[in-house]
Amino acid sequence: MKFAPLLLLATVALLIALPWLVSGSMLNAAVQMLIAALFAMAFGLLCGQAGMLSFGHAAYFGVGAFAAVHAMNAFGGAGLLPTPLLPLVGGATGLISGLVAGYFSTKRTGVYFAMITLALAELLHALASHLKAVFGGEAGVSSFRMPAWGIGFGSLTDVYFLTLVWTLLCIGLLYLFSKTPLGRITLGLRENAHRLRFLGYNTHALGTLIFAISAMFAGIAGALQSMNIEAANYVVLESHISTAVVLNSFIGGVRVFLGPAIGGAVMTFFGYVTSDLTRVWLLYQGIIFVLVMMFLPRGLVGELVERLRHRSGQGVARSLGATLLRLLCLAVAAAGAVFLIEFLQRFLSSEYRAGVSEGNWPAISLFSYDWAPLSVLPWAVGLGLFGLGIALVVTVNRRVADRQEAQA
Amino acid sequence: MSDPILSLQHVHKSFGPAHIIRDANLDVLPGERHAVIGPNGAGKSTLFHLCSGQFAPSKGHILLNGREIGGLKPAEVNRRGLARSFQITNIFPGVSVFENLRLAVMRKHNLQFVFWRSAARLRQVNEEVDDLLGKIRLTDRAQTLASQLSYSEQRSLEIGMTLASDPQVILLDEPMAGMSHEETDYTAGLIREITEGRTLLIVEHDMSVVFSLAHRISVLVYGEIIATGTPEDIRGNARVKEAYLGEEAA
Ligand SMILES: Nc1ncnc2c1ncn2[C@@H]1O[C@H](COP(=O)(O)OP(=O)(O)O)[C@@H](O)[C@H]1O
Ligand SMILES: [Mg+2]
Repeated sequence: MKFAPLLLLATVALLIALPWLVSGSMLNAAVQMLIAALFAMAFGLLCGQAGMLSFGHAAYFGVGAFAAVHAMNAFGGAGLLPTPLLPLVGGATGLISGLVAGYFSTKRTGVYFAMITLALAELLHALASHLKAVFGGEAGVSSFRMPAWGIGFGSLTDVYFLTLVWTLLCIGLLYLFSKTPLGRITLGLRENAHRLRFLGYNTHALGTLIFAISAMFAGIAGALQSMNIEAANYVVLESHISTAVVLNSFIGGVRVFLGPAIGGAVMTFFGYVTSDLTRVWLLYQGIIFVLVMMFLPRGLVGELVERLRHRSGQGVARSLGATLLRLLCLAVAAAGAVFLIEFLQRFLSSEYRAGVSEGNWPAISLFSYDWAPLSVLPWAVGLGLFGLGIALVVTVNRRVADRQEAQA
Repeated sequence: MSDPILSLQHVHKSFGPAHIIRDANLDVLPGERHAVIGPNGAGKSTLFHLCSGQFAPSKGHILLNGREIGGLKPAEVNRRGLARSFQITNIFPGVSVFENLRLAVMRKHNLQFVFWRSAARLRQVNEEVDDLLGKIRLTDRAQTLASQLSYSEQRSLEIGMTLASDPQVILLDEPMAGMSHEETDYTAGLIREITEGRTLLIVEHDMSVVFSLAHRISVLVYGEIIATGTPEDIRGNARVKEAYLGEEAA
């Protein structure tokens, strides 16, 4: 079990070396990934550990983002608040707004809690478009990162390291938090708040505090975001930001410690890669979420941890083989699905529609071939690959099950 | 006679039109083991819910050490020194047995909002948890998820969590339900041991346990306490025989 610290060390080393390993645009994506990871970890504390599903975490992310921009303008990156410490402002405003919002929303649980968080976030979003002095209206508020502590903060590399240090620091703090008495009680809150009350705990105060701590880290993530782009716009308060953090965290695995961070980073990377390749990348993101929830309900990391925990000594190699085989078959099915989706997207697009004249259906070019939409071929390729992949997975699963039965 | 430590005075509880507790009067004396018996649906659990803050009484007073606790919140009642177990197992299923007990013990040490210390290094707390684990015979299961315990092990954990806060007054609602003979005997011994110097109010269906454990017994029928007395008194009470014990024997 000395494996985990080694892996962690290697990851950190890789992250430190990253600016010398990847292109500028990739490094920019890495900054986004770190921010998404931290934001998801903040959400994970509330949802995964305390069991409170917030649909309005964009509010605290956004509050932190605006606070940091205003602080950047007010202090000019010097004096009491030099540039590297600006995320503290995001954290403080996140904490305070989290205390207020948490006080009200944690009076309820479950669906009602979720609805209150959603309503509060929408309220802030609606207000933001009117409060031009604070939120800058359509244009938003912009600023400049100033040099401090002998660092320029003009280059992407500087921003990357600023983001990296803060993200690692916060994740480290969240880890330590999970080991403290309050961190343990957080799990009790998720598992059975009713019983906690009968043990003498003030569950409303506890819930409010956890909510505020989660909002504080969300605020730090927001501050890092606005420092990165040197601006904040009330778009950061929109509900799709709240949704994204929910989806990312669940894809990674909201109950395992690093699950949300991995989910946030992976899905941000996925968006970075696919948004250039396809117009329907949000559709793919949605499909991934549905598939993960259906087949890996613990999330990617959660499932991995579970597998590792229940591995049987000799079966590792064999189950690894079966898993690789499954992944291969799934890749075939995915290729078919992607083909179909892309083909349909082009077929149904308004540009294509405009090009269709009576009885004349122009060919659709996809993956460097031109396909006649009325012929069987493209549909056969897509459906065929998809069907083949699924059939193969089913066969592999059956074989594995048979073998396990034979062993038992 | 010393003043009662827990006193119910003309307590009523109704849910809408249903009068579940009707004018219940009960004095529990300091240091005694007091059992409440009665047929199913008589309102025994409801009585416990009223004493522990789950429900507020519709009418009447509930006094703990002479101070009103009727209508207080569960956490407040607990802090005044009354802890309870539940008839329907009420634990933290997704965390380990050790963690379940630690949650119960930490509160006693006022570790509620503490985020600057490591829980693993709370020596006193962890020792107390180990001690409790031994008492409820779950030491081997310390790292098991509570949800994976057998039913009777969960019942033991339920009792352990109730004891953990070191209460003055303990309310146990059918603690032995679902336990084997051996487990019941052991648990009866454990309850006897841990309630030394405390006050116990217990609901239990196993009459041999009730009659051997309790100093005094109260009989609850249709939300009314129809008799209170020593085991001998209760055994000889005609009304009780008619309403409850006779029914059991028949
Ligand atoms: N929350 C409630 N709302 C309505 N009726 C209830 C409620 N709780 C208990 N009752 C009713 O009160 C009666 C007594 O229940 P309970 O106290 O659980 O009995 P006992 O523990 O003696 O078996 C039952 O008829 C039950 O249906
Ligand atoms: Mg009952």
